[in-house]
Parts: sequence; structure tokens; C-alpha cells
Amino acid sequence: MSTAVKSKNTRAVLAKRTDSAKQHLSDAELLRLFYFMRLTREFEESIITLYRQGKIIGGAFSGNGNEATAVGSAFCLKKEDYLFPMHRDLGAHLVKGQTVRNLMLQHLGRANSPARGRDGTGHYADASLRIYGNISHLAAMIPVATGVALASKLRNERSVVMTYIGDGGSSVGDFHESLAMCSVMKLPLVLIVENNQFAYSTPITKQFIVERISDRAIGYGIPGFTIDGTDINEVVAVCAQAVDRARRGEGPTLIESVTMRMHGHSVNDGAEYVPKKLLDEWKKKDPLMKIEKLLMDKKILTPAIRSDFEKKISAELQEAVNDALESSYPPAEDAASEVYAE
Amino acid sequence: MPVISYIDAISRGLREEMERDSSVFLLGEDIGEYGGAFKVTKGFLDHFGSDRVVDTVLAESAILGAATGAALVGMRPVAEMQFADFVTCGFNQLVNNSASMHYRWNLPVPMVVRLPSGAGIHGGPFHSRNPEAWFFHQPGLKLVAPSTPYDAKGLIKAAIRDSNPVLYFEHKRLYRHIKGEVPDGDYVVEIGKGDIKHHGNDISVITYGSTVHPAIEAAEILEKQDGVSTEVVDLRTLMPLDKELILSSVRRTGKVLIVHEDTLTGGIGGEIAALIAEHAFESLDAPIKRLGAIDTPTPFAPTLEEYFLPNKEKILTALRKLAAY
Amino acid sequence: MAIVDVIMPQMGESIAEGTITKWYKKVGDKIAKDETLLEISTDKVDSEIPSPSAGLVAELLFPEQKTVDVHTVIARIQTDVHAPLVTGPEQIELKAQNLTPEATPSFGSSFEPSTAKQSVSAESDRFFSPLVLNIARAEGISLGELEKIPGTGSNNRVSKKDILEYVERRKSSGAVTHAKPSGAGTPSGGTEVIKMDTMRKAIAEHMVRSIHTSAHVGSVTEADVSKIAAYREKHKAEFERREGFKLTFTSFFVDVVVKAIKDFPLINASVDGDSIILRKDINIGVAVALENGLIVPVVKHAAGKDFVGLARAVNDLSNRARTKKLAPDDVQGGTFTITNPGIFGNLFGFPIINQPQVAILGVGAIKKRPVVIDDAIAIRSMVYISMSYDHRIIDGALGGKFLQRIVQYLENYELRIMN
Repeated sequence: MSTAVKSKNTRAVLAKRTDSAKQHLSDAELLRLFYFMRLTREFEESIITLYRQGKIIGGAFSGNGNEATAVGSAFCLKKEDYLFPMHRDLGAHLVKGQTVRNLMLQHLGRANSPARGRDGTGHYADASLRIYGNISHLAAMIPVATGVALASKLRNERSVVMTYIGDGGSSVGDFHESLAMCSVMKLPLVLIVENNQFAYSTPITKQFIVERISDRAIGYGIPGFTIDGTDINEVVAVCAQAVDRARRGEGPTLIESVTMRMHGHSVNDGAEYVPKKLLDEWKKKDPLMKIEKLLMDKKILTPAIRSDFEKKISAELQEAVNDALESSYPPAEDAASEVYAE
Repeated sequence: MPVISYIDAISRGLREEMERDSSVFLLGEDIGEYGGAFKVTKGFLDHFGSDRVVDTVLAESAILGAATGAALVGMRPVAEMQFADFVTCGFNQLVNNSASMHYRWNLPVPMVVRLPSGAGIHGGPFHSRNPEAWFFHQPGLKLVAPSTPYDAKGLIKAAIRDSNPVLYFEHKRLYRHIKGEVPDGDYVVEIGKGDIKHHGNDISVITYGSTVHPAIEAAEILEKQDGVSTEVVDLRTLMPLDKELILSSVRRTGKVLIVHEDTLTGGIGGEIAALIAEHAFESLDAPIKRLGAIDTPTPFAPTLEEYFLPNKEKILTALRKLAAY
Repeated sequence: MAIVDVIMPQMGESIAEGTITKWYKKVGDKIAKDETLLEISTDKVDSEIPSPSAGLVAELLFPEQKTVDVHTVIARIQTDVHAPLVTGPEQIELKAQNLTPEATPSFGSSFEPSTAKQSVSAESDRFFSPLVLNIARAEGISLGELEKIPGTGSNNRVSKKDILEYVERRKSSGAVTHAKPSGAGTPSGGTEVIKMDTMRKAIAEHMVRSIHTSAHVGSVTEADVSKIAAYREKHKAEFERREGFKLTFTSFFVDVVVKAIKDFPLINASVDGDSIILRKDINIGVAVALENGLIVPVVKHAAGKDFVGLARAVNDLSNRARTKKLAPDDVQGGTFTITNPGIFGNLFGFPIINQPQVAILGVGAIKKRPVVIDDAIAIRSMVYISMSYDHRIIDGALGGKFLQRIVQYLENYELRIMN
């Protein structure tokens, strides 16, 4: 039996799998996932506000619409696994254990931020949490993630590496070189392609002609899945499988998570090129709205709990913002230090 | 003391480090089964196994990125670029990932990239490159270029033990052409320290890699025929430069010729010249002179390549001009 | 109570300004934190701007449709809603504050120029390298002294070796006790050894080689240059004013020699084994005495120059010879040489041929002498001219005729140079 799964059949296969998976997520887990998704949404809103107030400088990115993918995927990782998130996966940082405070400091480039002001947004690393942030060159982290997966295999660690890329980034050479290496060496990599329909202003119709990005998996002889990126259950189910495969030494998996980029490429992009109709369509599939409805229907989420979450999130964010605004930038002379390790 | 070839010295150094530290592993194209395009790693796969000697796919960016990732999580990878010319395929990984991670994340990246480089072997434009200048310009990388077997073994050991990404430029023509005394057992050549390969008083030659040898030959001829005494300073490390060694030599002699096999314009000789002009201006009795390959891609036909490259005669002519100034 | 500034944000790395499209509040209105205060428009995006603080809108500093630089304060919020409204000064035309971080200190290495007083001034024509100046300063050698040190570097430059040797000599000559011991003889009043410098070595080698190469013979003649002398005396002031340099006798000799060579081309030749190489170009070398030697700059393509052109070339070359500014090309390629043994007052000389030429002309001192003209005695400006030439290819007849032709041209010089 071929290990490659033709993506045309995937939906049918998945339908079976996700139903069973839905049973695997406990109420408590679902509630927790909802909390993280809500926190992610609110955190990014505050980032946008801070940017418009001139308090965050440079640039800012929003993963609005991607919350289920980011949160659900990282949820499948254990402490010993490695996370290489992209710029719309803030939720993944939080699930892996990063604090709101640290992420806020990081966005404001403060001296006491994880990257000590040397880089901004999500471009930091936290070795204790095994989070290695991205750089601006898209797909450039996939080879690095590959190397971590290689180390894991050589040292028999059985730890898994999860990383992400966009529909646009899947055209980059590094995407392909990494899959070439991971597939033939059976490295424990889970590669999630977040197909949110646009790469900046380039729609997917101008990016590729395969029916699904996950079709590319066939070219590498690895399993490929296309999933509904707004459905938390589907995300968790398929990612969990991929993680297990990797941990068992069966090699990499390519997962295409289909969502919509609800905001512009960055906070400076008005995204007028996105047809209003498309946005309206996807608004109806808002992942937060969906999970909320699911939880409300199951009576796991009540208005009281919801309100309580909102208060908690608001308070946590406010404290983080205040903390960050009161912290200072690093002293100027720091710029020259630590180019080399001792 | 054993006399061995430059290539054997590299091999021995690699082997000893792999014995000494189990986190050291090799990755590259054709390095395992085949023993490497130049046979540097011949026998390594049998001895160390496929977990320590990894034959990779043909993908330089993935190789260099993977080395970076493995180093990030505590291994000590030694990645081989089959020819230095192919490092450009992974340029982005080196300059934007490997070089910047310690500065940005305070995480060491203890990786080595071995780069068989250099011309004079009829390699043509794509098998003859000396790419050090591009990487010299990237803060966060270290660069070494041994000229002798002794330095080759000592520097590969030092490179592997360094906590930073180190580019190791091993000259292809020197592999089997140069032999020298190499002690058995462990020793390192400290990164950042050059070496005076030939002492003298009248002119300093600052050089590295393959041009060290014709420089010494020219120095000997000049002494014998013209009575002019030349000092040959072998940099050994390109980044960080041994500035004190360069300056102390020039301050003593007052005249300096900088020689490298890399093309002249934008080669690191320019930076060395600026350094000397800035810090030893009042010691100069002549303008600073440089000699490098001409500013063209490396040509293939032997007559063209000879014209392209610096050699003993060109060094001698330049030294004579300087002596007469 | 605090006043909080609202600034025009930078909506993108390349954005430098924003336009206020709509104020959502008026001065005095209450506003909540993060409530939209205004809308802006930039090249990239239109955006609602939330208030950084809750309170009262104290000031709106720019009207709608106004474009301001990023980081400009555009409004102020007073945090205490109950206090009376604090109004700031009239609308100020605020200059954009450049909020880029302070330029980091330059990390270029600092150089400390030598603090020792530079005693050597810029008045010298010779080039001294930084090292030589450094040594001069350290040893207390003045510019005057430095100027006189013979140079063995290129273009007679004082090199490190030269100045260090000078310093040594200075030390030993200043010693009270016996002079520097020499290679032979006793110290006191015996011999002194002076090492030849590069120029001396070159001259010595050349002269000996010339004697061994050419079959030197000589002829001497005399010429009456009274007309030229008178002409020169009469017109030299005007010449100098017009051309910017002095009119010399040498110019006349060069001019005449060129004419004579045209008549006798074999003079403008060299010998190569058993071939005679006739040279087409007439390049006249004019020997110049230097303090410690001599040098022969060459007037190239003399045949193509008129008198003034020749005079100018000779003048330029002599000046540069004396100020050590000759280029290697200036002293190469000569086909005939003129030297001036008469410069010190002597009658004539026995010059050695300048290899690989085959003849050299020596001009003696121009002196007034009594001579016989038409059986009467006249006082005339006379000059002895000697020529050494190579008997391998120039026999006495040719040499003699050539010399006589020079006399003829000198004595019947067409003095039309001023027209």
C-alpha cells in the first residue's frame, strides 16, 4: 500500500477520522482550546491598536481567521517537541507555553523581551519552550526545522518538529529542498501549509495550478492532507496523527490547512484586492464563532464562563501592555555586543 | 614527526574530533559511501556509522539550514559543500540564519562548513571559487583558511570546538601538493591568530591560503638575488583578522604587499589595506600594494587561467617594485 | 492629571506622512481608551486611530485633510474628565520630530594622529613618505636638512634606508672622538669610505661601459655666436615676458643641432652588432648637472618643434631635472646628446658618448675673444664646440662635416623667432 495519499480521497478519509477524533477531545480540552483562540484573537487586536497608536513600530501581523489552525496544531505537541511558528501562528506560541507578557515585550522590542530588542514581532527563540521563531525570508526556517528533526533522529529522541508555511511560501526552494531531505530520511517533521488564499496580494490562482497544495506530497512520496483550517476538531485530529507518525519514525507529513486571511498581509495593507464577497463568505466561517457555537451547543460554554474568560483575557492583556510600555528599550551601546558566542 | 599531506591532515583532524566528541557529525553530498568527492572522509562511514556520517540529498540550502538547526539544539555538525562554488545555493541560510542567531537569540550555532575552494586545477568558473569575501562581510561568521598541513589539522579542530558558525576554506590544489610535519595527537591552532611563515625586515607580505607558498618562494629568491629581506605573514584566520600581527609586521618593515588568490576588487585585501592605512600610516615608506586574481570569472584554458592567477613571478615583480620605491 | 499626546503613527516602514481624513471628536468631547479618535489615510492604507487614553479631548492640532509627518503630535487628551479643559498654545506648526534612535556611536576605529609638532613644512618640492617624516621628526631633522639628503628610492626619493643612514652618519660625524673607521688605513686623517648612491653607481657603470663599447674619437671647432648673443641680449626681456621663461643659448644650440642632424642622418643612429639602426625620431638629450651627479632629460620629437617649442621643452625639462620631478619617460629614448662643459667657464670638454647613441656634442663657455676677420682683429663672442663620436660608424670626415654644419648654422642663424 502506498504511503502517499491522493488528496482527492482525503476528504472521505478525513470525514471518518475527524468524527472519531471529535470524541477524543474532552470538554475541558475544548474549553481550553477556545480560551487560547480567544486570547490569540484579542492579543492580535491589541497589537493592531498599539501599532496605530505608534507604540509598536516597524510592522505588525495578524492571524485573524487562522486561530484554529495555530492553536489546534500546537495543541498536539508535547513538551519535548519543537515548534517553528510563522507570523500568523501566535496562538501556537501561547499553547506551547509562551506568556502573554513575553510576547507583548517582544512586539515592543524591549530590553527584557525574549530577543532583547534585537529582533521584533515573533522573531525570537525560547529554547526552554523549544520555540524557534521565524525570519522574514519565507520558508527559510523549514531547513532549520529539518536540521532539528535530523538531530532528533540521530539522537533517538523521538521528539517531533512542527513548522508552518503559507500558500505563497510553498513555492520557495527551501520548502522543496526540505521535503526532499525529510522524506528520504524519514525525519520527524510535520509541515503545515496555511492556505489562506493570498500571499500578500497574490491570489492562489497565481501561485499554483495543482488542485490542492497537499497534492505536492505525492511528489515526495509522503502523506498529504487538506483540512478545514477553521474547524478545531479537524485540525487537532489530523495534526495529532501526523505527530504520531513522526514520533514513530515514519517520516514527515504535509498538511494543507485551508482558511482565509481576514486582515491584510500586514497591518499596513488595506487588502482592497480581496473581493468583499469572499471576506463575507469567510466571516460566516470564523473559527472563533464556530468553536463558540459548538461549545454553546454542548453546553460546555455558558455566558458566565464566556464573560469570565473575557475579563481574564482583558486583564492579562492590559497588564502585559502596561508592563511593556513601562519597560525600556535596550541601551544603545548594547547594539555592538554578542555577535559571537564565547 | 610524521610528514603528511594537507588533505590527510584535514582527515585526521576530523576523525580525531569525531572520536573525541560524539555530538560531532558530518553531513554532505557523497561523503559517506563514496568517501567524499576528494576522499577526505574515506573510511569514515564504516568507522563511525551512518548516524555520524550522513549522506544528504542534493540541496545546499537544506544542508546548511539543517546544519544550523542541528547546531541550535546542541549537536556539532560539519557540513561539506562539495565545491565552495556551491555555497551560493545556501547563501541565505548562512547569512540570515546561521550568522544572526546568536546576536538575535543568544543561542550558539556551533557548526562548521567545509569549503573545498580555489583555482589552478583547471576547474573553470564553477569549480574554482574563493568565496571568502562575501562571508567576511557578514558579522557572526568566522572564517579560516589554512595553508599548511599543520595549520589544516589544528584549524579544523579549532573550528569544530568553536561555538560559532565557522567557514573552513580548504584549498583543493594544496590537498595533495603540500606535505608537512603534523604532530600525532591533539593540538589546536587558535582561531584569530596568524603566523609568520618567513621572517624579514624590508617588506611585509600579508597573505593566506594557496598564495602563502609562492610568497615564500619569492621571498627566498628576492633575498638571494637582490638582498631584500621579506616577511611573509600567513593570516590563517580571515575573520577575525589578526590585526596586531599585521600591523606589527608593517610597522617594522614600512612596506607591504597583500596577496590573495581571490579576485582583487572587493577581496579582503582591500579591508586589510584600509586597516594598515588607518593604523600604521606613519610607518609607511611606500603605498600599500595588493595582488589578487584579475577581476574576471575563473577561465578554463590553462593559458587564460595562468594569466588570471597570482603566482611566484607576479609576486616577485611586485616585491621588486616595492623594494625600489 | 496628565496630558497625553496622540501622534501620527507610521503605518509602514516606508511611510513618512499621513493625512487626517476625519476627526471623530471635537475639543471638549469625552473619549474612552481605544475609542476611535480620528481616521487617517496614507499611501498604503486608511486606518482608524484609537485614543491612547480615556479622558477629554483637549486639543486637535490640525484640521481635516491636513497631511503631517509621522510621529507628529496631532492631538492631546486630558486624562481628568472633571478638571477644566486645559487648552494649549495656539495651533503650532510642529516640526516633525525625528524619532529614529540616536545615531549609534561610530564603531570605526578611532585614529590618533601623531601629536608631535610637524616641523617639516609643505614648502619642499620633494616627496617624503609618512615614515620618513616620522623618523625626521623623531631625530630632530629639519626640512632644510631633509631636503639635502640624497635619495636612492624611485625618482631619487629619500627612502627609509636613506634617512636611517643619514642619521647614522650624523651621529658618527658629531662624535668628538675619532671618525668612523674606514676599510683601509688608520682612522686619523687617513681615508674615508663613502658608499656610492644609486645615481652614482649608475653613472659609473654607464661611463665605463660606453668607453668599452664605442670607438671614441673627437673633433673640436669654434663658432662665432656674436649675432645670436646680440639678438638674445636685445630680445631676452620681451621673450621672457611673452613666453614666461628665460631665453637661453642652449635653445639655439638644440635648434641648430636638429637642423644639422636632418642633413646628416647617420648621426642619429645606433649600432647593433653589425647593423646600423637609423632612428627616424630626433630626440635630443640635454645634460643637466645635479648636486651629486647628472641627468639627461630628452626633448622628444625635436624635429617637429619650432624654436619656441624647443626652448620651452628644454626649459621645462631642466627645471624638472633640478626639482627631481622627471618621469622615467623623460630620460629615455634619446638619439643625440648635448652637454655643456662650458657651464663652469671651461673652454671645451671630452664628453663620453651617451649609449646607445653614436655622438655627443660638448658646448664650451661663450667668451669674447679677439679674432681675425678680413685681416682685421675683431672682438667676437666665440665658443668652442667639441664632439665625441663613435668611429665604428662615424668616420672623421662625417664627424667633421657635421660639426662644421653646426658652425654654419650658428653663424648664419635666421633670427626670425620673434615674429
